[in-house]
Amino acid sequence: MKSIFQTILLLFLSLSVFAQNDTTYAPFSSMQEVVITATKTETKLGNVTMPISIISKKNIEQAGSLRLKDILQEQAGLSITNGFGAGIQMQGLNPDYTLILLNGAPLVGRTAGVLDLNRIGITNIKKIEIVKGPSSSLYGSEAMAGVINIITENNGDKKIQFGARYGFGNPNSGWATPLGKSVFKNTDFNFLFITKYKKANVNFSSNAFYLDGISFRPYSSERVTQPIWRLTNQLSISAPVNDKTNFSFLIRNGYDQIKQSFAVNNNGAVSTSYGNEINNDLNINSSLKHTVNEKIKSSLNLYATLYKGYQKLNFSDKPDSSYIDEFRQHLYRAENQNDVRLKNMLLSFGAGYVIDQAYSTRYDNVESRKQNQILYAFAQHEWTLSKKLIFTSGVRYDHNKIFAAAFSPKFSFRYIANKAITIKGSIGRGFKAPDFRQLYLNFTNNAAGGYSVLGSIDAIKIIQQMQTLGQISEIKDDYNKLSTLKPEFSTGINLGGTVFFNKNIQLDFNGFRNDIEGLIDVRQVATKLNGAQIFSYINIKNAYTQGLELDLKWKATKQISISTGYQFLETADKDELANIKAGRVYTRNVDGTSRILLNKEYVGLANRSKHMGNVKINYENKHGLFINTRLIYKSRWYVGDRDGNGLLNKNDENGEGYFLINVAAGKAINKKLNLNIGMDNVTNYQDVNYLPNLSGRMIYLTINYTLK
Amino acid sequence: MKKSTIGILAIAALIFNACKNDETNNVVVNPNDYNVAVSGKIVTVKNLPADTVVGIGAQGPYGAGKYTFFSLGTNSKIASTDSATSNWDLAFAGTTIRINAGTSGPGNGGAFVYTGTFDALTSVPVDSTFRIDQAPTYAITKGSGKGWYNYDGPNNLVTAIPGRVLVIKTATGKYAKVEILNYYKGNTTPLSTATDSVKIYDSRYYSFRYTYQADGTTTF
Repeated sequence: MKSIFQTILLLFLSLSVFAQNDTTYAPFSSMQEVVITATKTETKLGNVTMPISIISKKNIEQAGSLRLKDILQEQAGLSITNGFGAGIQMQGLNPDYTLILLNGAPLVGRTAGVLDLNRIGITNIKKIEIVKGPSSSLYGSEAMAGVINIITENNGDKKIQFGARYGFGNPNSGWATPLGKSVFKNTDFNFLFITKYKKANVNFSSNAFYLDGISFRPYSSERVTQPIWRLTNQLSISAPVNDKTNFSFLIRNGYDQIKQSFAVNNNGAVSTSYGNEINNDLNINSSLKHTVNEKIKSSLNLYATLYKGYQKLNFSDKPDSSYIDEFRQHLYRAENQNDVRLKNMLLSFGAGYVIDQAYSTRYDNVESRKQNQILYAFAQHEWTLSKKLIFTSGVRYDHNKIFAAAFSPKFSFRYIANKAITIKGSIGRGFKAPDFRQLYLNFTNNAAGGYSVLGSIDAIKIIQQMQTLGQISEIKDDYNKLSTLKPEFSTGINLGGTVFFNKNIQLDFNGFRNDIEGLIDVRQVATKLNGAQIFSYINIKNAYTQGLELDLKWKATKQISISTGYQFLETADKDELANIKAGRVYTRNVDGTSRILLNKEYVGLANRSKHMGNVKINYENKHGLFINTRLIYKSRWYVGDRDGNGLLNKNDENGEGYFLINVAAGKAINKKLNLNIGMDNVTNYQDVNYLPNLSGRMIYLTINYTLK
Repeated sequence: MKKSTIGILAIAALIFNACKNDETNNVVVNPNDYNVAVSGKIVTVKNLPADTVVGIGAQGPYGAGKYTFFSLGTNSKIASTDSATSNWDLAFAGTTIRINAGTSGPGNGGAFVYTGTFDALTSVPVDSTFRIDQAPTYAITKGSGKGWYNYDGPNNLVTAIPGRVLVIKTATGKYAKVEILNYYKGNTTPLSTATDSVKIYDSRYYSFRYTYQADGTTTF
């Protein structure tokens, strides 16, 4: 902790010495770009008081990215996790703690806290804004590590665009012929239509994505990734109602169908099951923006999102029975926001009401509705003291119907030290409300030893019932800690800034620390008579994540730009750390004998890489030719306890650090025709155990045809 | 009489061990086979089968229901026909370890689980309380996280907790310290990604080490 901020301080000092030699230059024009996510108001990038990064449509296209996962995994400081779909790990926090927004409204439908990034197509969006550090003061629950906001295009020049992409690979041999046997194929079709109807901008897009299964084993019918269809349709309309009022509307539907066929292993007895998983995600967002006068703006936003995940499996040995897993979540939100500009201040305030509902076969009954209502209010004050100094402070209060309220303040500043150096700092509180699963889950995994996980609301009741029936052999100490779950809270500090070494070199840096209290953990609370374990959720852990992030952009020549990003990360469970420091934790030598675990052997929370980075080199000329290479690195991450001490240390089970190299090139043949070619995972790196979704080398070809 | 027998045995074991050390290059021990190795005061037992799994039923994997009896004094397995004698000190079946006392046997045994390292435990702590088996509770407490092991249900793995020493009073009232090293064949816990059948059929093979104090004192 200390050392990280010392490093930053040192960086500041050395840079300020350097900057005094600097002569005048025009700051990067990129600092003029308008962003929305950090403050919920349109703000120039250079005035934003917290760490923010932007992924443009061009970045997405040139990287050949189709799904949100593809582009996020190439960003420094973001790591993709592999359980329950592809999740995002930001500032070392689990996917549960990053809020994912579509035009400022939350996406729902998480499995075990993970929103699968593969569900979200990004072919027809305008840009993605990523804000790091707690943002609950504006967005409420889940915005603990940060916020990812997908922003769709709602105007633009009239055009019709068709796109097609074909990708193929063979993980076994490394190389594939485009149509050969045991080759997996990825086909993607895209259609975009932008027009004007009277004064309204109408933007329609449609995307179909197909990926057939990827088999790691030759001649095996077992697919690591099952055949998948994904369809995305999106319609947005933006129209002025009068001079002062604008109406915008978005409807978006994502549909996935995933074929499943796998072996279920129940205590060594193998049975094959097959079926389908279907996910459907509907988002409807409409807003009215009214400019009262130059100083006052007001907006009203109505949002609804309906998510349904459905899985049905049949078993080859029991043809008459089937297994159905269904989860539905409906979220409705109404929000008002008002922006008042006074001299050197901008005051934003608003309130909203959310109804959040869920149904699941994993709760007591799929027809019984679980519901939370949230009433919230927020206010933010942006104070421009001088051209150099901006203070932003904000606060939000969330009143929950089914658990404790949350109060989330935040303070931040941006200071321009001189032409070369800008400093930013923020301290804020984030929270994550317990989700429905943690409250209501009633799930027994008959396919893996019969263990059960119970939501905290019903756990005591169910276990007591089982006890009277004589089905419980043992009550654990943690049973007595069961109570109504409270939100998890964090305090996040970010300190960093931007340095322009000259007009071609820009360094962004940021040190962060997040302290999380009352982290909800799954603990064993009882044992059934047959030895199967019963787990439930308890606010029990305290943890921290801290690190340093560096991002260097260098425009080497007019055509060549190089960027490199790096994140250093340390995490710890505070109780585990205290036990290690007290010498109460042991580990095993290679021969199995025990010894006291040393502090330096502790690796912190699971699935974290200490070092992550990327290097991207891009060549682009004025004739519409581009060539890029992106190298992504992740160091070793730990997945499971092997020595039996219940925590993770250096001799525990881990995934090996690895490099990925992706390359792409494209050329605008003429004004209408555009060709791209690329290769993902050039070195054909694979890790069947710890990176089951990394598919090996793939080559793809994309054609885009535009009519204006 | 008995003391000297054990003394002779211990010396024999040492000589045997010395010989074996000389021949290390020639003797190939299958790492999955049951074997006993003596090195100084420390005896290491590997792959002691403990009611290994013969099938999987509705209540999970099951064995033949037979305990494996072991004598810390003679460093060897004891026939189950001797189960009603004081010839054995520890009996293993699945994750259950019984001692020769109370409801488990006629011996004068006792045991408790000590937290700390095997090497650092140089004598039985003065304030120790030895427990005896009183079925269904045992001197070496059953259950995940309570005695010598942790059970990870979702991954279906049993891991011996490091820093746990079983302090044993043997059937004949001698003292020993025992460290369980592993619960799986080959002294290696399967990876969490291993198949269920590996995790099940490779389980119930104990590897452990111990120091037996033949002279009846509490120092090791």
